[in-house]
Amino acid sequence: MLMSRRCVPFTPFDGTLSESMVALVSNAGVHLKSQQPFNPEGDNSLRVVPGDVKGAELMVTHSHYDHADADRDINCVFPIDRLREFRQEGLIGGLGDKHVGFGYSLNLKETYEVTAPQVADAIERSKADLVVLTAG
Amino acid sequence: MRGLPTVLITVVPEESALMRPPRALYPVGFRLGCSLGGPGQDTLQRRVLLDALNLFLGPPDPGKIREMRYPESGGA
Repeated sequence: MLMSRRCVPFTPFDGTLSESMVALVSNAGVHLKSQQPFNPEGDNSLRVVPGDVKGAELMVTHSHYDHADADRDINCVFPIDRLREFRQEGLIGGLGDKHVGFGYSLNLKETYEVTAPQVADAIERSKADLVVLTAG
Repeated sequence: MRGLPTVLITVVPEESALMRPPRALYPVGFRLGCSLGGPGQDTLQRRVLLDALNLFLGPPDPGKIREMRYPESGGA
């Protein structure tokens, strides 16, 4: 659905965090260590990671910000272990079935027309009620 | 079409504001690569994440970026 560029794409939320499934979406270049890395010079593909992924299974491929700290602790940019703690503590209902990472691209047209809809589609299939977006 | 409620954690609020995010948190002074806090700063990361999640609650303020300060960050 095309939206006016003057719109704020706001979806209301009237639930509770403790009953909500939360998914992460990040353009910090996060992916599974077992997945093909992003092309650091430009890549419009995305990586879908399992909902129950552990932080130690993830890595960053990105050449346009200093991710040395994220390399040591992925939660600096992709708080998956923190979300898991919140689930264990009952602060959130759970984690979505999937989370999504994508990387650096200067091809904003393709990002807007191709990548973003793919991300939205993956997240809609993740049973998430809420999405936390992070960058690098 | 069903939308999904989202919240953005950003450390580049000027750029993010151009996209008119429906909900957004800016941890003041944090930098790229440490948008929720530094490595091993679990407590800080939890605070930032929970503050972001709490933006789903309460009165909506679409398009506005909420600034939050975390003195314990030490300039994450």
